Amino acid sequence: MSNGFNTASSRGLACCHLCLKLVRQDSHLCPRCGTAVHQRKANSLERTLALIVTASLLYIPANLLPIMITTSLGEVTESTIIGGVLLLVDMGSIAIALVIFFASVVIPLTKMAVIYYLCWSVKRGRLGTARQRTLLYRMVEFIGKWSMIDVFVVAILVALINWSGLLMVRPGPAALAFAGVVILSMIAAESFDPRLMWDLEPPAEQPNKKPVERPVVKFVVKPDVKPGQEFESE
Amino acid sequence: MDQRHDFPGYLACQSCDSMFDVSRLRDGDTASCSRCGGFLTRYVADQFVQVVAIAIAALVLLALGCSYPFMTLNLNGLESGMTLPQVALSLIAHRMPLLSISVAAFIIVIPAVVLILVIALAGAIALERHFDWLRPVGRLIFTLQSWSMVEVFFLGVLVSLVKISGIAMVEMGFAFWAYAVFSFLFLLAVTGLDRAQCWHQIEQLSQHE
Repeated sequence: MSNGFNTASSRGLACCHLCLKLVRQDSHLCPRCGTAVHQRKANSLERTLALIVTASLLYIPANLLPIMITTSLGEVTESTIIGGVLLLVDMGSIAIALVIFFASVVIPLTKMAVIYYLCWSVKRGRLGTARQRTLLYRMVEFIGKWSMIDVFVVAILVALINWSGLLMVRPGPAALAFAGVVILSMIAAESFDPRLMWDLEPPAEQPNKKPVERPVVKFVVKPDVKPGQEFESE
Repeated sequence: MDQRHDFPGYLACQSCDSMFDVSRLRDGDTASCSRCGGFLTRYVADQFVQVVAIAIAALVLLALGCSYPFMTLNLNGLESGMTLPQVALSLIAHRMPLLSISVAAFIIVIPAVVLILVIALAGAIALERHFDWLRPVGRLIFTLQSWSMVEVFFLGVLVSLVKISGIAMVEMGFAFWAYAVFSFLFLLAVTGLDRAQCWHQIEQLSQHE
């Protein structure tokens, strides 16, 4: 697993995922924070896949069932996620329609596709460098929670528009399904371990170029890492 | 002994496992992985004092945001208003307790718990006092942290404003402004508390007890 760079695992160390302490690989609990230590996230691929498959399945009812039910003077209108976007386009709020379309359709679909791809890239061949795929992973991890917007919008409208008989908004079952999609895919992204991609990197692919340095960013890289006494294996 | 200048010696990148020596950072330095670009740690000399101050301010604003009207609607003389807790509570009335709990957790409960714990932990570190609860509190903070959706909710508020403005007059209440400032301060407090530096200080305090 050593490819030019000194990796923690090549030195017999594991990194605590909670407090980042470097501990010996045979440790079970982190001596600093008490969390269970794993060299790589436990059963990363299996967990990630199980969660993302569940999220994908939930995405179907999230789109087919109504997310919001409006009762206006006795007339009941059920709207799905896509229906809500189209309604906004009709109203002329193109910008807001785009925000919702991105948050509820583009982001979750992209996120699921990227996670499937990353899992596949660890098992099979790979397109692009590990660095590019890590960037993809970070992006997906960052944008995940923004999908929740539509659920919050429904919650706000339900709380605000509540004149029974005249005009009333109720939450539809898709709101719950969609919240489930977002939560499950967030846990899926968290379960994926990007280090699995780097473990496969052949030494030749390792970037020898000097890293891009920004003024506030300071890289302190010592080529010969000499672990302190506490890391010395027996 | 001045513990402020003790750094965690080595850190492994969370994305690619490369090891780096981060023991020589100056005030304001951010260390990133030179292999994959991942964030390693950021050192700010008085970060714990700053974080306590910001977190207290954020907590006060959240309390204000929960107790004053958030938005008021006016539809031809018919008034309807809501407070922040009502956003979550009104879902219970529609028999969606799970959704109600999630919404309450993401926008109020988790941020509030994180802030209270951050004040306790960063306060103890700033005062250089060791307590037995530092470790569990630290674990809780860094586990809950990623589950707050304060900024997402705020964008949701803006979207619903546009949706409603077509049918009724909307007036923003005091809580709206309080929550707006709160979401900004909350992000500052959470990103200001550096994981590696924080745990290093906890370790130092327990050793020098």
